Amino acid sequence: MARAVTLGSLVLLALTLLMPADILAQTKDETIVYALQSDVQNWDPPNSVLRESIILGYNVFDHLAARDLKTGKVGPSLAISWKALDDTTWEVKLRRGVKFHDGTPFGAKDVKASFDRVLNPENKLTARGNHAKIKSVEVVDDSTVHFKTDGPYPLFVERLTALVMQSEKVMKEKGHEWMQDNPVGTGPYKLQKWMKKQEHQLVRNDDYWGPKPAFKYVRIRIIPEQATQIAELISGGVDIIKAVPPDQMDVINKSGQARTATSPILRTAMLQLDQAGRSGPNPMQDKRVRLAANLAVDIDGIIKHVLNGLADRTATTVNPMAFGFDPGLKPYKQDLAQAKKLLAEAGYPSGLEVGFLRSQPVVEPGVIQTSDAIVADLAKAGIRTKARMVGESGPFTNLIRDSKADPIFEFSWGYYSIFDADAIFFDVMTCNQPYSYYCNKAFDDLVIQGRSTLELKKRAEIYAKAQKLIHDDAAYLFKWGLRGVWGLSNRIEYEAPRDEVDRMWAVTARKK
Amino acid sequence: MRRYIVGQLVQLVVVLFGISILAFGILHVLGDPVLLLLPQNAGKEEFERYRHLLGLDRPLYVQYWKFLSRAVLGDFGKSWYADTPAFRLVLERMPPTIYLTLSGLVVALLIALPLGTLAALRRHTWIDSLCTAVAVAGQAVPIFWLGIMMIIVFSVRLRFLPASGYDSWQNFLMPSFCLGAALAPITMRLVRSGVIEVMNMEFIKTARAKGLAEGRVVVKHAFRNACIPVITVLGLQFGQLLGGAIITETVFAWPGVATLTVESIRNQDFPVVQCAVVLLALLIVAVNLIVDLVVGFIDPRIHAS
Amino acid sequence: MPRDRVSTPTRLELAGIAAGPAPAAPSHAAAWRRLLRLRWGVAAGIVLLGIVLAAVFAPLIAPHDPLAVDIRHRLTPPAWMDHGTPEHLLGTDPVGRDLLARMIYGGRVSLVVGVASVLMSTTIGVLLGLGAGYFGGRTDWTIMTIINVMLTFPFVLLALAVIAVLGASLFNMIIVLGVAGWPIYARVVRAETLAIRERDFVVAGRALGMGHLRLIFRQIAPNLLSTIVVIATLQVAQVIVLESFLSFLGLGVQPPTPAWGNMLGEGRLYMLNSWWIATFPGLAIFVTTLAINLMGNALRDWLDPHLKL
Repeated sequence: MARAVTLGSLVLLALTLLMPADILAQTKDETIVYALQSDVQNWDPPNSVLRESIILGYNVFDHLAARDLKTGKVGPSLAISWKALDDTTWEVKLRRGVKFHDGTPFGAKDVKASFDRVLNPENKLTARGNHAKIKSVEVVDDSTVHFKTDGPYPLFVERLTALVMQSEKVMKEKGHEWMQDNPVGTGPYKLQKWMKKQEHQLVRNDDYWGPKPAFKYVRIRIIPEQATQIAELISGGVDIIKAVPPDQMDVINKSGQARTATSPILRTAMLQLDQAGRSGPNPMQDKRVRLAANLAVDIDGIIKHVLNGLADRTATTVNPMAFGFDPGLKPYKQDLAQAKKLLAEAGYPSGLEVGFLRSQPVVEPGVIQTSDAIVADLAKAGIRTKARMVGESGPFTNLIRDSKADPIFEFSWGYYSIFDADAIFFDVMTCNQPYSYYCNKAFDDLVIQGRSTLELKKRAEIYAKAQKLIHDDAAYLFKWGLRGVWGLSNRIEYEAPRDEVDRMWAVTARKK
Repeated sequence: MRRYIVGQLVQLVVVLFGISILAFGILHVLGDPVLLLLPQNAGKEEFERYRHLLGLDRPLYVQYWKFLSRAVLGDFGKSWYADTPAFRLVLERMPPTIYLTLSGLVVALLIALPLGTLAALRRHTWIDSLCTAVAVAGQAVPIFWLGIMMIIVFSVRLRFLPASGYDSWQNFLMPSFCLGAALAPITMRLVRSGVIEVMNMEFIKTARAKGLAEGRVVVKHAFRNACIPVITVLGLQFGQLLGGAIITETVFAWPGVATLTVESIRNQDFPVVQCAVVLLALLIVAVNLIVDLVVGFIDPRIHAS
Repeated sequence: MPRDRVSTPTRLELAGIAAGPAPAAPSHAAAWRRLLRLRWGVAAGIVLLGIVLAAVFAPLIAPHDPLAVDIRHRLTPPAWMDHGTPEHLLGTDPVGRDLLARMIYGGRVSLVVGVASVLMSTTIGVLLGLGAGYFGGRTDWTIMTIINVMLTFPFVLLALAVIAVLGASLFNMIIVLGVAGWPIYARVVRAETLAIRERDFVVAGRALGMGHLRLIFRQIAPNLLSTIVVIATLQVAQVIVLESFLSFLGLGVQPPTPAWGNMLGEGRLYMLNSWWIATFPGLAIFVTTLAINLMGNALRDWLDPHLKL
């Protein structure tokens, strides 16, 4: 009997040891491991608003144009040149000899198909708003495309970096559903395998038209806990992590295995206040309450003490790096007395209760501590918040999109990596946009004006007016432009990207 | 014997029904799926429409019947966030959970069998007291705390085990040790009690009287008989083991059913939670049944009746 | 099943064995050991009393408001370390709240949840167990089936499932843990009731025409008291650990309300530099659980050392 038990246990033990998942036939030297906190919902970038989708999209697809990180200027990618034929027509010339991962050659028909797909209101793709100024796309010949825009479209060139080029053949033959799980792009890496919520495996595209990536394989591991990400970075299980909390930077830098790298990024954080009443009637619809909220909080103190100085204060939602930013506009200074006075005027002499939708620090590091500090300051003025915590970014943004957020909620915007005030104004602050809880006709008019002229000076003036408007109207509780903090393993060389897009093909091995 | 098996099967069916009622009840009676699905400002007509669509305006027993008939075929609906059938999602994550549970069991046995036997044989000595003290202290340590400490020591400071992931046998070491160590104290006590009881039995005294060496007495007779209660107990413990695995999984980001369940709770993805609860309960019931049947075969008393 | 050879432990015995080793038959050494074990129990009881008093008198003892955010003094180490200050004996958390104050208030949560949910479980479980054991027949069968079904689910799973629907809060946790915990009592009480039911004094009572309720509550129940008390004590420890796990996951008591579990969860990220944030709550859970277990063992020994519990 004892023998049976022993044998049984040995069998169990053996079974367990032989168990584990796919043993990857790749060596550590050929592989980069990149950590993400939450997984994408699909591999169809125009169909997602998540930063993770954009990043993954850059590695597997190409865009017509690409930003040079060193100069900040937009340069050629799949398109080699472009020019405005007139105020509302652009001609774009395409690169020849490019192939999709399935071998199909890339051509003008794919450009037309990709844009048509996004612009078609029936498809309900999230990226539609970004490109709505494009009225139509015409194929002139296999490497020439004409774009017709709805009035002058100053952001045309910038936005060429914002739509991935997908295969017309795939769209026709495989359809939308298939495309959610199977990306077919022209990019430096191909998707080999996707274990949902666990891991993506990418393999180098050896027929890539551009610079060949140094590492053959990329493993994108989904690791939800920041503590685990840091542990993995230090123990060598992961090479790149992002959104490192400022409090943990010293741990990584002292480890001897990894280091941190920072860069100001386009992402701007704010607390949206439900002026438009999308979540129902609420106190934030009153300007005095919104103003009181802005005056109650010591934002500078929070940046200094909680973020260790790693943020750039903004007077509105416009990032200092974006075109149209008005450095002359001063942000609110904390004034509790004034805040209380305003609340009393608004009919809340003893303060008020209001809901606050919060999330985990997936793209905004330290958000739990900074929001805790903000909550404490708001309470000092009499605005008592009741927190509702929703963990993952997908469900969190869905709540916002479906008008199920609270009157105050955490929000940040990456501008789709377009360094222009319009890239945040239009999507996040005009009426009736899915992620905008602010509606002000005067502001909308200014935004439309701003995107309807090609003259830089005029645009800057319009945007200055617009910023003053939303500042004085205390549209949102304004916070800061983020600084990205990356944790990098000492075995790689990598430059922190200021457009928040991690380009796996740019990672190289560190020379010993 | 046959009567025993039939009896077990009848009990099984009843329990299965009970589980389905419980799982159904939790979602449909306690919560309101429509309220969770629709946007806040959806009008009253929208609510009514969805209620009708989901069949929530029908009487409860009709809804239950629909749920049950679908569940039996494996249809628990689609996950509200991943757009894949809940059943497939849960099933995919089952193997890691099962492997973790089994390896935790192995570790618990590896610790508990020798220690428990030792304590039983050296009863009333300092060895016994020490083992007992360690067991009592061990039971008080929260599993998730143990897990976190292990990651810090073995991954970050010593750097010889991976902090998370599911690629190779090294990934199994910490979680199974954590789970095993958490369950070892109580297992050790059970082994100790079992061995003590057996050692006092008549046939042992007979064996001793016959002049057999102590060692042989222990291994050949005591152990063999002590196995029965120990195995039964471990089988019954499977539920506890699974509970411990649930906790361990969340600390080590193990890609199993438990982490899926916790995530789904956070996302309010009820079809997945419901499916996970039912499947895990089924698993436990299945294991209990197997253990009962095995005991039925081994235990001579049942054999005879 | 006849049990003359090796006995297969019933769940009752399991619960008891989980509690601690059964004492030996009386003899010199055994009596001495019994007294020693009681000494541990008494010590544990004193520690527990301290914890309870601290929790009850929290507003008087706590050096600061546990919710007072002070970002200028965030992440201060405990007083005995560099950069520590006697102002914050155990240091501060990531937004500057005093850790000692939060620990004391956190004890309140644990104890409230522990005691309230166990009271709930005990009440439900004892009533149902008495009913099943006394009335027998279909009542018994129904209740036993429900017990079996519920015991199939690990406590943790049941708790998670119900929290999923009800949402995370202190009150919901008490309900969930209370409702999930009753089967243990019911099972034990039922077994004992079945045994006692046939005893002389009960049979006599029935012959005398005593009403059912009177019989149950006056004659039978008092005999179960010691069993129930021991199981309840041990359950409190289990519930406290479970509550801290749920809070650790973010599915229990929500921040900023301090609870040992959610403090552990928040502190997890800081284990490598500001380790005190998670370590002290973890220690608190350990000490409390240990104290309750030791006291429970001693209680069992004291109430009836021959109880095969």
